[in-house]
Amino acid sequence: MNLSSAAGRVKSTLPWLLLIALAVWPSTNPSPNAVRLLFITAVWTTTSLAWNLVGGLAGQVSFGFAVFYGLGSYAAAVMINSGRSPLFAFAGAAAIAALASFFVGLPTFRLRGPYFAIATIGVGEAVRVVMNNLDSTGGASGYRIMEKGAFRQIEHYYYALGLVALAVVIASIVKNSKFGLALRAIKQDQEAAAAVGVNPYFCKLWVHAIAAALTGVAGAVHARYAAFIYPGSEFAFQTSISILLMPVIGGIGTIWGAVLGGVIFGIVEEEFVVRFPNIHLLLYGALLMLIILFEPDGLVGLMRRTMRLLKRWFWSKREDSGSPDADKVLWGRGSVEGRKL
Amino acid sequence: MKESSAFLAMHIHRRVARTLLLVGVVMFLGNLTWAADDAITIGIVMPTTGREAKPGLYQKEGIELAIKQINDQGGIMVKEKGKKLPVKTVFYDNGSDSAKAASLVERAMSSDHVTAVIGGYSTALAEAESVMPDRYKIPWLTGGAAATSIYSRGYKYIFGCLSPIALLGSTTAEFLGNLADQGKLKKGLKIALVVENTDHGVDYVAGVQDWIGKHPGYFTVVLNEKFDLGGTDFSGLLQKVKTAKADIFLSDAHLQDYITMQRQYLQAGLHHQVISYGARGPEADARKALGAGTDYILAALWWSDKLPYAQVQKFVADYKQMYNRGPDSWYAATAYDAMRILAKSIEAAGSTDGTKIRDALSKAELKGALIPGGVLKFGANGQAGYPFLVTQNKPEDKVDIVFPKDAATGPPVAPIP
Amino acid sequence: MTATDYLDLLIKSLLLAGIYAAMAVGMTAIYGVMKIVNLAHAGFLMLGAYFAYELFERFHLDPILGAMLALPVFFLFGMAVHWLLVRWLPKSDTPTLASLLLMFGFWLVLQNIGYLVWGNTAYSIFTPRSLASVRFGEISIPKDKLIVFAAAVVSLIVLQIVFARSWFGRSMRSLIQNPYAAAIVGVDDQKTARLSFAVGTAFAGFAGALLAILFPFTPDFGASFQLRAFVIIVLGGLESVSGVALGALILALLETFSINVPLPLYWHGWKFVYLPSSYQPAVSFVLLVVALLVLPKGIAGLLERKWRVA
Repeated sequence: MNLSSAAGRVKSTLPWLLLIALAVWPSTNPSPNAVRLLFITAVWTTTSLAWNLVGGLAGQVSFGFAVFYGLGSYAAAVMINSGRSPLFAFAGAAAIAALASFFVGLPTFRLRGPYFAIATIGVGEAVRVVMNNLDSTGGASGYRIMEKGAFRQIEHYYYALGLVALAVVIASIVKNSKFGLALRAIKQDQEAAAAVGVNPYFCKLWVHAIAAALTGVAGAVHARYAAFIYPGSEFAFQTSISILLMPVIGGIGTIWGAVLGGVIFGIVEEEFVVRFPNIHLLLYGALLMLIILFEPDGLVGLMRRTMRLLKRWFWSKREDSGSPDADKVLWGRGSVEGRKL
Repeated sequence: MKESSAFLAMHIHRRVARTLLLVGVVMFLGNLTWAADDAITIGIVMPTTGREAKPGLYQKEGIELAIKQINDQGGIMVKEKGKKLPVKTVFYDNGSDSAKAASLVERAMSSDHVTAVIGGYSTALAEAESVMPDRYKIPWLTGGAAATSIYSRGYKYIFGCLSPIALLGSTTAEFLGNLADQGKLKKGLKIALVVENTDHGVDYVAGVQDWIGKHPGYFTVVLNEKFDLGGTDFSGLLQKVKTAKADIFLSDAHLQDYITMQRQYLQAGLHHQVISYGARGPEADARKALGAGTDYILAALWWSDKLPYAQVQKFVADYKQMYNRGPDSWYAATAYDAMRILAKSIEAAGSTDGTKIRDALSKAELKGALIPGGVLKFGANGQAGYPFLVTQNKPEDKVDIVFPKDAATGPPVAPIP
Repeated sequence: MTATDYLDLLIKSLLLAGIYAAMAVGMTAIYGVMKIVNLAHAGFLMLGAYFAYELFERFHLDPILGAMLALPVFFLFGMAVHWLLVRWLPKSDTPTLASLLLMFGFWLVLQNIGYLVWGNTAYSIFTPRSLASVRFGEISIPKDKLIVFAAAVVSLIVLQIVFARSWFGRSMRSLIQNPYAAAIVGVDDQKTARLSFAVGTAFAGFAGALLAILFPFTPDFGASFQLRAFVIIVLGGLESVSGVALGALILALLETFSINVPLPLYWHGWKFVYLPSSYQPAVSFVLLVVALLVLPKGIAGLLERKWRVA
């Protein structure tokens, strides 16, 4: 049995098994609270995967993803209120978010590193203030989605599940394609990438559009469930920060890291708020600091390191090669931001 | 081969571990439900951190005072169970975030099996939360949110204990009209409206303009501006007010913006015949921050501790005993009444079934309520309606009720000296 | 608006600019030397505000003196924070995500500590000066704003002297310009980094104490100021205190005048409109984006280029 094909087969069947498990789970008659938690987790995981494409894969740290989340939710809200079907509204949300991403990206992708990040903050806040003043969508009072028909929680759940599955598929395709390779090259050294024939500006714009579309649909799906949106929460700086925290906690640059980050955010954060109402900010901040200080690669990195340690203790005969290049082959990563694994 | 199988095992272990973790988490949470059979659980979802933290805390205190008094009597009598059940609470801090507020209310209703939820405090939070009660058929009350838009959606399970904000605006205008009739103010004065950019502000302006439209010849609006919350420098805005040369300055703001704006207003040497900040005025924090700068400011409130009802004095005394300070402004009182009318309705319904309680709430009437008028009742759309008070800060930290006449404790002073 | 009104607004903008500059300089020092975007700056502002408040309430210490006392106290606090948390961050030429998120996490922790210790009451410092103003006819200058402005200007001048003359200032500037070259020349980057962080924190605490004189505050105080600090850093460039002052001036002028100056607009004919006040925050952010695109090195960079050409 060939090593890589076996590992590859394991790699590719597990996610599908998980998907099937989640798809049939509602038939076990779970509590509405559990469905709600998984719904929210799915929505956040989608945004996490989307941001990961731009921030983790291409290395462009954007603090303005709330713009796409909010625009997607408002676009879908308006379309649903005028009678369109949900799928049409979600597709419309994706289109509008992607369009907005071009407007945002065209000027800002000329900037590098921190200046790009700061520019995205500026754009995010400016959009929030404008939406706060736009009377046609309710302005600061918010916008209500009135849908005809009864509320079926499971239907929302399946939309979210479909969305997150789509996001995982798209993220995998991008990551494993030549386009993904180009993005990784841009992340490491934009000039060198340009020298070997990659058009950085073009690639950044396109990955930004894909990520924005996914985030927009996530916002739309959530808006339809919550039935009420307002600029102070959709376009908040806090939302942008939440979106980027998830891949960082889970493991930036990896797909499973983004998923794990989404799960933690969706479930753990609420548990903090519920069980420790007085110190939940402190716990969350401390968790963040611990992760940055001790394992900047996030939880995925932590798992990798644990596995490596276990391997050293229990399978000491099969030592790791002791060379970073071999590590790169084994684990896909030799070092991160100057620190060795 | 050995290395590759170990490698494979590692990969499988890693993936399996991840999947099991995910599945385990889901199953663990899916089974986290419990229903208290020997108690009535009330969910309280209030902001105690973030922008609305102070009012949220006060409302929580009002509710808990009511619950303590109910439990001291043994609880609420539920005919279905044939005995009095004590009241337990489940509290969630929504951090002044509307999406979280809606999520937590849903959690309370679906996982904690509450009998009812008291939520809020502000309108934005309540708008988001008000989607959930009809979905789960569990009644939801608020002692906070007053924007009429919440109650105009046809939801059946929501009840608001505050009179509409538009009424607040028109009551202020009506009071000013009264002053004009009495000759304290001239007719035809100009009003500058400077409100916060929220539905609270927007409703306030609508109420004022509504009254002005119905009573021509009294006042005209010469400036109508909105400002973003959490402002730091109002020089530009106050300059606009100066340029407008108005006689009356009406604003609607949160506590912090009220303090900041009033400070800068006084520093700029502005003066108008009447000043009002909507529903803000006599707050203790404002007094501490502005000293004599709060004198003569009018506020249209849902309640004041100076109301001459016996139940109000008792409430103030009980509150002082429990929290070692008097109730600040109106927040705790309306929440207290909300809990009491809920308890009354649960008793009237005789069961903990949401729909029965909801029906009882729609017909409920709480006599001996703290609010002006002394009776709390919900309209057809679920929102209560009762007259507003207008208070005026007087020098030496005094506060007088100046409107309506039968509840007045002191004469209004206008124009401001 | 009359000429005196414009003058009045101009003076108010100047006062505001002084406050903004004091607040932004703390962030500039840290960003310039260590390339760390200090998202905990808002937390330090908040702590500085509460520090001044506590001294005022307990010892009746004038808040300006409280602000000056904040300088050494927060200097030591900054050294401690650096030693505990910041020195583990990987060094880099550009801000890393790790530094951003570490400081953000720290800010959350500081906020929670604020809530635990002081609750969510909106505290403020009220002195007899708080409502007083100096009057020149139609123009009024609030007394406490004037004093805060004076304190801010003095502190900026002191900082500028330190930057220009002292060994420490020169090390900082060399690290800002080129960290590798600085290492070659013998600058101890660890020590300088620690001192810069401490100076940045000291000024953040100082600014927070000054702000406490003017505004009411709760534990989440500082977020809106922090965003403005970003704008000022970008506008002002990094290498000089005067750049920060210039950036603060531009921001303050724009914020105050943007809603009071009639703007020509073509909509079915030329009209003059006033920008509605609720759009005021958007102005600073649009300015930020425009400045980033047009002036990558800030206004100071633009001036520098002009002089070098001459």
